[in-house]
Amino acid sequence: MYCNRLYANKPELAASRIDAIGYQVGHQLSERYTMERPRFTDHLDAIKFICKDFWSELFKKQIDNLKTNHRGTFVLQDNRFRWVSRMSLDPSENGDLSQENAEAAENKAVQEPNMHLHFSCGVIKGALHNLGIACAVSADPSQLPACSFVVRIKP
Amino acid sequence: MQFFGGTEISPSLPASTASGNNGHMMYVFNRNGVCLLYREWNRPLHTLNQQQDHKLMFGLLFSLKSLTAKMDPTTQDKSNLGVPQLPGQGCSFHSFRTNTYKLTFMESPSGIKIILVTHPRTSDLRESLKYIYNLYVEYVVKNPLYTPGTPIRCELFNTTLDQYVRSIS
Amino acid sequence: MPPVGPRSGDAIFANVERVNAELFTLTYGAIVRQLLTDLEEVEEVNKQLDQMGYNIGIRLIDEFLAKSNVSRCVDFKETAEVIAKVGFKMFLGVTASVTNWDADGTCCSIVLEDNPLVDFVELPDTCQGLYYCNILSGVVRGALEMVSMKTEISWIRDMLRGDDAFELQVKLLKQIPEEYPYKDDE
Repeated sequence: MYCNRLYANKPELAASRIDAIGYQVGHQLSERYTMERPRFTDHLDAIKFICKDFWSELFKKQIDNLKTNHRGTFVLQDNRFRWVSRMSLDPSENGDLSQENAEAAENKAVQEPNMHLHFSCGVIKGALHNLGIACAVSADPSQLPACSFVVRIKP
Repeated sequence: MQFFGGTEISPSLPASTASGNNGHMMYVFNRNGVCLLYREWNRPLHTLNQQQDHKLMFGLLFSLKSLTAKMDPTTQDKSNLGVPQLPGQGCSFHSFRTNTYKLTFMESPSGIKIILVTHPRTSDLRESLKYIYNLYVEYVVKNPLYTPGTPIRCELFNTTLDQYVRSIS
Repeated sequence: MPPVGPRSGDAIFANVERVNAELFTLTYGAIVRQLLTDLEEVEEVNKQLDQMGYNIGIRLIDEFLAKSNVSRCVDFKETAEVIAKVGFKMFLGVTASVTNWDADGTCCSIVLEDNPLVDFVELPDTCQGLYYCNILSGVVRGALEMVSMKTEISWIRDMLRGDDAFELQVKLLKQIPEEYPYKDDE
């Protein structure tokens, strides 16, 4: 995935644009993949569809781990997420000296990949929205190449 | 092309270890002569500062390529010594050997130059360099956090590269 | 002289990692739509698509060279052929042909009869002037620039504008030799 360089100095705006692009794609794809299916009975059913069928269509593998607090939050973990499988950071910034540096490096290690994950989050959000579920999606790439997506369903 | 190594001048040439420790160092330059990567595994002596060292290596390649093309007995079509060529233009060399080290070189048509300095007894490493070029594509070019033309700082590339170079014999 | 590389990209295409075609096409469509919304001016969208393509092309060239084992790109004619026959197959899954060479061999056309970018696409009237596939011209331009060829690329035919194929005209402006980058002799 190549970053949209239009908004180099406006990261929030770039993020929302990339998210919007992902949203359109997810929406259209889930429309296509659910055409011949019965309607989903509940949220968990729809999330399971994302984890299995939808993910398999896109990445030829399923989500590896699904957790939920049973109150509308789901964590979908892909142990080897294809879109970040080649992503790696500056090793010198992780071999740090002080506590402060370590924190800064860790922050960076999350922020930079995050920019590239807005698309994926948008796709999941768009797909679920098409199934009638309004939600917010965020990503946690701190354990590359594994990646977790947190889906919070809006009540 | 071989320099001194070809005639085995030095009888006391150390035997190469079966594997694990034959790689001395590696350079990657891009088409603008920027040193994208310098990696070292086994280099007892540093005589120059890094910048001078990179410059010297690039100069060596540049001159040697120019010379080898100039000396080519099979073609008429050549420019004057020192006149810049297109990457891939004219003939080129792929390695030379001294009694203490061997240097293997490859250049892609996009001007990426990979230089691997190893133990003098290592075998033909042309395929290894192609493999390293593939690693570069997978772990550097495809790393979305990498900006083309800047020094390579990719952990995944370094670890995969180190592992591979350890297997060279 | 040995051949510069494979004559077709079929074998390589069979081996490379592939992305879901719908995802690819829909994503491209969504990007174009987003750009149209954000930039309003169609001309500006064309420019951005070309720039995005360029950024992709300068990266893609190395993957192309590494996987196709192409060893030199010095001759423009040879290079154009190999990009059309192998490059397009490798990354788009379609074969392009090279035609319409001019007399001195510095200008030609790459013709695509099949183009996965435009599956499901129909341009509304408001998008007159949009070169929907302009990213491709950027990719080709960027890739060629990395093998020392400065080119100018323009669309001659576009199926979304009612033509029977996609035709990209590639004009070689100059070939840039490598410079010795260190000027001072200290």
